[in-house]
Amino acid sequence: MQRNSDHSGKEGRLPAMAPLANPYVPFQLECPPRYEPRTALVRGTLFPGLDLPFMGMVNKEEQPVTPLTELQCLNFGIQELALYLDTHSDDQEALDLYRNLQKMYKKGREVYEKEYGPLNHMSHLDGPYRWLDDPWPWEYAANREV
Amino acid sequence: MFIYDKKLQYPVKVARPNPKLASIIISQYGGPDGELGASLRYLSQRYSMPFDELKGLLTDIGTEELGHLEMVGALVHQLTRNLKDSQIEGTEFAPYFVDHTVGVYPTAASGYPWTAATIAVKGDPIADLTEDLAAEQKARVTYDNILRLSDDPDVNNVIKFLRQREVVHFQRFGEAMQLLREKLNQKNVYYMNPAKDM
Repeated sequence: MQRNSDHSGKEGRLPAMAPLANPYVPFQLECPPRYEPRTALVRGTLFPGLDLPFMGMVNKEEQPVTPLTELQCLNFGIQELALYLDTHSDDQEALDLYRNLQKMYKKGREVYEKEYGPLNHMSHLDGPYRWLDDPWPWEYAANREV
Repeated sequence: MFIYDKKLQYPVKVARPNPKLASIIISQYGGPDGELGASLRYLSQRYSMPFDELKGLLTDIGTEELGHLEMVGALVHQLTRNLKDSQIEGTEFAPYFVDHTVGVYPTAASGYPWTAATIAVKGDPIADLTEDLAAEQKARVTYDNILRLSDDPDVNNVIKFLRQREVVHFQRFGEAMQLLREKLNQKNVYYMNPAKDM
């Protein structure tokens, strides 16, 4: 497993003798530095090495801690690792983190659904039919503070 | 198949309606480098991809883009809620309003309706992945341009998130291209079309 020489994870790997007439993007090295899931969601990436904002416009807006934003943080970490694993399927450290976040997501989802109703039609919950309950995700009111 | 999850990928919470801003952000809903085109481009290119990594990556990024489409729709919706007619009259939003009221319609900011002519499915993995690299850069620049034109922090936080995703997707498509090349004829990667001739 290749370790990062650059602490920020901003360096990648190219083929030693790169053939002509090919566009190249350096491969992100394995075991790259990572943000915590909450920071990752705000920055739009789990990886500091890929965090390249426009004209220094860094997103620093912290999301309030709610059952919904907990799920969004975990969901985002899983999504980011899924894309990483699609091209780095041998990185065991990333795979372990992906699985840990999945476990936490499963628990977080149970907490959320008990309070706010089903996330999708596969959610099995007792009681009345709550799928239609307001608010829907695109509405301003969906940002409930708890 | 697809299952709808009743949540956004990233929260959209716009305190102040702003129809002028909505009329430029709509471009990332249905414009030439918008999220609708992105999702359909990747989800359509999947079928002719020859290797598992490429099928998986296009599926995963194409699905994420559908979530981004929903976020851009949420931005436009919240920017145009509770408007008085006087807030619309004489603004850049008026031409959109006359056709779509405050519905969310896939169109470019210029008024040109969404068209499949702005995406490509060539059926050759090197050509399609090269298109995807360019598409991510064009989407990034559109978000850069929105950041230049918007001073609403509630909107800009969401735009910064979406812009950063384009950077990450570009990286992954570049890596996918390299994984593809390693599986092809090392003396000539253009020897044949691996979608058809392997």
